[in-house]
Amino acid sequence: MQAASGLFAERGYHGVSIDDIAREVDVSPAVLYRHFSSKKELYDTVLMELACQRESYVDAVINSGTSFEDVLAGMTRIYINSIADNPDLLRIELQSLLDGNSATREFFENRWKSFADYIEFSLNEMLPYDQDNREVTILSASLMFQGILREALIQKFLQPHDRLEDVDLEELSVELVRLFLRGLGITKSRLTRRAVIKE
Amino acid sequence: MSDFDQELDASGLNCPLPILRAKKAIAGMDAGQTLRIIATDPGSVKDFEAFCKQTGNELLSSGEEGGKFTFLIKKAA
Repeated sequence: MQAASGLFAERGYHGVSIDDIAREVDVSPAVLYRHFSSKKELYDTVLMELACQRESYVDAVINSGTSFEDVLAGMTRIYINSIADNPDLLRIELQSLLDGNSATREFFENRWKSFADYIEFSLNEMLPYDQDNREVTILSASLMFQGILREALIQKFLQPHDRLEDVDLEELSVELVRLFLRGLGITKSRLTRRAVIKE
Repeated sequence: MSDFDQELDASGLNCPLPILRAKKAIAGMDAGQTLRIIATDPGSVKDFEAFCKQTGNELLSSGEEGGKFTFLIKKAA
């Protein structure tokens, strides 16, 4: 499975044949066909398995403050580190977006929904109730954060020339969150007043 | 009388929200009091086990019925 996911991540569904995978793991294609009826089935299995791998954000909650900023920075750091450990996760997610495969939804549900939920739920509590276009603001903010994080990951881990070579991953996650909050007009003082609870 | 002191419904929410809300709820409780949590995220089982292990609060029970996961946590002294 690992060999297959590496090949699919590198070349996409159409760029890999059952023969390629068989050669990579040094078995005959017949052996693979005994387990999977088709390349499609093998591909779907690989995608689902990757899509369902999930980071645990428990550490982001326990080992930091409970402010919106602290937790989001903690989650971002955990996510960046998980892609650093396995950049194929990101490659294959992008491949599945273009393929329109059903795993695309699984990728969202299992990997990005944590961010979407956390941002949307928290902003819903933090933004003034009479703010114009409240719902659109919240949804846009959630998309904005997923967008900048995904772009940073693409630049950092998938580009041949790493423009972020000298940037520390910890620093990167803190800075992304800081800019995001500034873009929303949320200052630390307001966060402290509205979203931090006393331990 | 119910067999828990507080209840938290985290249905439909992905990690870390159920954990974060539980942490906040427990912070407002007295030692020995219990919190019942309802969640729908299958990942919450592992998450709450890790949460209790790391915070010292006691996971009294956990169960699943019809896609809903329930946890009973007792606040550490």
